[in-house]
Amino acid sequence: MARSRVAKSGEDAIPKISKALCETMLSDLERATRPVLRATKCSLDNSIYTFGRGFFIAGDKKVATELNVSSVKKMSRAIFILEILLRNIETGAVNTKRELYYMAKGEVKHHKELRPLDFTDQNESDAVIDFICEMIECYREDMNCYANDRGGQTFSQQLVVEETMPDGSIATVDLSKLGTSPFQPKNRPQNLKLKAKKPIDFCLIIESEGTANTLVANGMCKRNNCIVIGSGGVPSNAVRGWVKRIQDQLDVPLFFFGDLDAYTMQNIFRTLKAGSAASLIRNEDYSAPKVKFLGVLPEDIKRYDLADYVVQQGDAGDERALKKARDVLKNDPFFQDKKNKDLAEILNWLIKEKRRCEQQAFFTVDPRDPTMPEQIILEKIKKKRYI
Amino acid sequence: MSKRKPPEKKAKSAPSEATMKANRKITKSSTAEYFSKNLQQVGFSSPTKAVLTTLKEAVDNSLDACEDAGILPNLIIKVEKLGAGTLKNTDQIRIEVEDNGPGIDPEDAPKVFGEYLASSKFGRGRCSRGQQGIGISAATTWAQQTTATGAKVTTKTKGMRKAQYFFIDVDLKNNKGRVRERQTVEWDKPHGTKVSFLIDGRIQLNGEAGLYSFLNGNILVNPHMTLTYHLPDEAPVTIERVSDDVPTAPKPVQPHPQTMQLGDFLQHASIFGGDMVGNWLKKGFSRINEGTIAELIKEHKVEKKLFEKRLNSLSESELKSIYGGLQNAKLMAPSTQSVLSIGEKALAKSIRRLGQIDFISVHTRKPTICDYKPMQVEVAIARLAGKATDSDEPVTVLRFANRVPLQFDKASCAIVKALQTVNWRTYGLKQPKGSIPCGPFIVAVSVVSPFIKFKNASKETIDASDELVEELRRGMINAGQKLSKHLRREIKARELGEKISHIEQFAPILVEILCRITKATKIRKEKAEQGLLKILEKDTKLAKSQLADAATRLEQYIGDDLDGIKGLFEGQEDRYGEQGELIPEDGIIEGIADDDSSLEVVDIESEAPKKSGKKKKGQKSSQAPKKGPKKASEPAKVAEKSKKTEKNLKPAPEKIKPKAKPKSKPKDKPKASKTKKKGAK
Repeated sequence: MARSRVAKSGEDAIPKISKALCETMLSDLERATRPVLRATKCSLDNSIYTFGRGFFIAGDKKVATELNVSSVKKMSRAIFILEILLRNIETGAVNTKRELYYMAKGEVKHHKELRPLDFTDQNESDAVIDFICEMIECYREDMNCYANDRGGQTFSQQLVVEETMPDGSIATVDLSKLGTSPFQPKNRPQNLKLKAKKPIDFCLIIESEGTANTLVANGMCKRNNCIVIGSGGVPSNAVRGWVKRIQDQLDVPLFFFGDLDAYTMQNIFRTLKAGSAASLIRNEDYSAPKVKFLGVLPEDIKRYDLADYVVQQGDAGDERALKKARDVLKNDPFFQDKKNKDLAEILNWLIKEKRRCEQQAFFTVDPRDPTMPEQIILEKIKKKRYI
Repeated sequence: MSKRKPPEKKAKSAPSEATMKANRKITKSSTAEYFSKNLQQVGFSSPTKAVLTTLKEAVDNSLDACEDAGILPNLIIKVEKLGAGTLKNTDQIRIEVEDNGPGIDPEDAPKVFGEYLASSKFGRGRCSRGQQGIGISAATTWAQQTTATGAKVTTKTKGMRKAQYFFIDVDLKNNKGRVRERQTVEWDKPHGTKVSFLIDGRIQLNGEAGLYSFLNGNILVNPHMTLTYHLPDEAPVTIERVSDDVPTAPKPVQPHPQTMQLGDFLQHASIFGGDMVGNWLKKGFSRINEGTIAELIKEHKVEKKLFEKRLNSLSESELKSIYGGLQNAKLMAPSTQSVLSIGEKALAKSIRRLGQIDFISVHTRKPTICDYKPMQVEVAIARLAGKATDSDEPVTVLRFANRVPLQFDKASCAIVKALQTVNWRTYGLKQPKGSIPCGPFIVAVSVVSPFIKFKNASKETIDASDELVEELRRGMINAGQKLSKHLRREIKARELGEKISHIEQFAPILVEILCRITKATKIRKEKAEQGLLKILEKDTKLAKSQLADAATRLEQYIGDDLDGIKGLFEGQEDRYGEQGELIPEDGIIEGIADDDSSLEVVDIESEAPKKSGKKKKGQKSSQAPKKGPKKASEPAKVAEKSKKTEKNLKPAPEKIKPKAKPKSKPKDKPKASKTKKKGAK
């Protein structure tokens, strides 16, 4: 099971580090010295990307929070939530962020002296949880805190998944036996072992879960030895970990198929391939650098005469999209890397041409042939029309 | 063979020759007849408006008369419902307005109340409320038409031992005031006028077109007026004056030739008759001098000999050539001396008579020329105390033209258009796109000018020319900037207060949880608590001093008694020259006036002492001795007062008297320390 560097150093590493941190803070207070909490700065300006490594890692920048009138609230809340998380680790209980929010509210309700710590909405408690993870440099899952499973519906006639259960027993899921139901990866896909009944030719990750379902319903998995995954927009930790698992264990070519716009390029494809700035400490286990961008490519518009549209001047959404493309080229180390020049070129094309194209545009090529999008995808893979 | 014309067919019901002749006859009707048939044009378009217009005309006349005579006005208004009216859905209403003005010469009474276009103010180029002499005669006509009465007038001038009572109506055929009844009566007033109308109408108290809004408006823009009013089913209310200065009516200025049309110009020439043309131009107009005449001769090809002729010897074409030359001449802009503003100080004092207010931002623009007419804009923004600041209710807009409240046709008014185009979000107010801002604020905007362009004869709304809207916007932006500054200070004070409470609240929790996680002993816990206190003590001190500083700034300028603002305005009333330029203390005129030297922030809530704002050039030292401001720690009182103001800004019913000036104020330590301690426990 893949775990953070901290967690890898031992089962009780996180409680140990947490207690040591609290001990330092207490000692500082005893000496009337201001305690300082240091956390990894999770932002693009502290992200380092090299093509060889393939994913973002954190730079040296830290966010130091020193105890003063402004930070005392944040610090108290951090220690308060840390106590709840440590209790969970000790008892083996797991919770979602939302549940932790309500647990914190419950603590406040039952202990009046904690009333000042009360959270008014979940964003506040989520920020504290993230701060703790950045401070200890561990995954949220290491703290027994899981997000809701979202995205990653997977279809295949060849894939078999073996899951190690908490009691040590092994559960085997043969995806070909699930009928029309997809396999849904969990937030912690690292305890899954993958096998292929027959050699798998490729794995296709599609931005829209709906389109993934359509391709499968039209027989793509029957006609091809493949895995089809619906990403469901920005890939969740579950999807990212799952794709990384497929990359590492099956060694099959991975292709991403999504819209041709800056949002898809950065927020979806780049997150899947190289991780994100917000999750610098987890990108190692949650990125699949071998994923290729299959499309929609600018050249596809011309080649297949796809229905694209012009970005509307004056439309707030469209203008934001263009601004995003410019910002990405300016600030994102992934697109600034010379080896990803071709991907950066797509962004330049978007800025220059002011056009967008959606993945569903493949359905315009021959509306009477439901397999046309599949044929185009296969042709693109065969002729290596991807980046 | 020539064709014979068919005989012309006559329509069966064709009128006879005699009838047709009678129909073609051009008849002449009097001005009074015209207005009696078109009373809707002068504000009598509905029963509700009839009540308001009648009252407005009577009040305007009273205030103008008092100001002309240099008398501080004491007005008593009575509005009574007497029963059902003769018109459908109306009541019979008596409206009575009594003043302590100079009184009306008995010979003039029929002219004033019964003759249209008989005015002492018409065309004088002054910022008086009334201009043409239509309104009060229209009120008499309305009374005549709806209740077959007229105006009942009791008047007494200074020299009279007894008063004269008149019952006047309008001789519509001849546009003359007709005295139906005249008596000599006893009246214990030394001088004054009381006028009463019995009309059909409907009383609306609340809302923008209500009587309260009218009264509030007048209270706001007439700080020198004491007003007592009796409204149906309400106890009498007296609002005391807050200023003892009668607005000095500025001298009317001679017309500017470039603001006149040819007809006016020719008419003006006929008044001067046999004067020499050169003299006429220099004396009869503003901004014309020898240099102008030389320019007319040299550059605009007006014959030199014309200026040496007598005016009545000039032909019309010669006058036209002079007029044409003047239109192209490089003349100075018209004088702004004739505008009569309310003044920031008076406006700031007066606005507080509308209810419990915890912030005022007032800005008076310097007089300027708009659409080639002298003009001055004043803007006051007041926040009602004790109301939610994030309210979605639009702000209350009070509009004034020459100190007369405007209550109708809001949407097309220049003031509202300007209000909608300012981005109030920048200044911390909510504002739906393209609308007026929201929140518990009163935005009062006054335009004064001897030549306001109204959209209609009933003077309900100001025409929105681009130049005027821009000038209004600038006034609003100035006031908005002050408001924003104040709101930012409030936020800062609140944040600092929160920080102090953070230390008290969170510090013990932090130590407690740390000790639980580390399983620390009681001794360690106590030691950590002491250490934490040491650390935070320093922070607390800093935050407290910042909080006191912020509170002090919030307290600037004004306390409950308003004396605090005095220093800010000393010597400011006369600081503009003829062109609206700033005249500094040394008398040397500089280019640009300092617009920012006006009242900025008013806060009566907290206890910190007042502190003057930035001293600006041309402004005298504002550190006049001030009386200690009202204590903020009276939330019950404040809440009680704010409740009173909630009914559509009803003026506070209790008597408000100006408080005595304090003799001196010790420069004591900031009282804000009390406020701090409240939070600090």
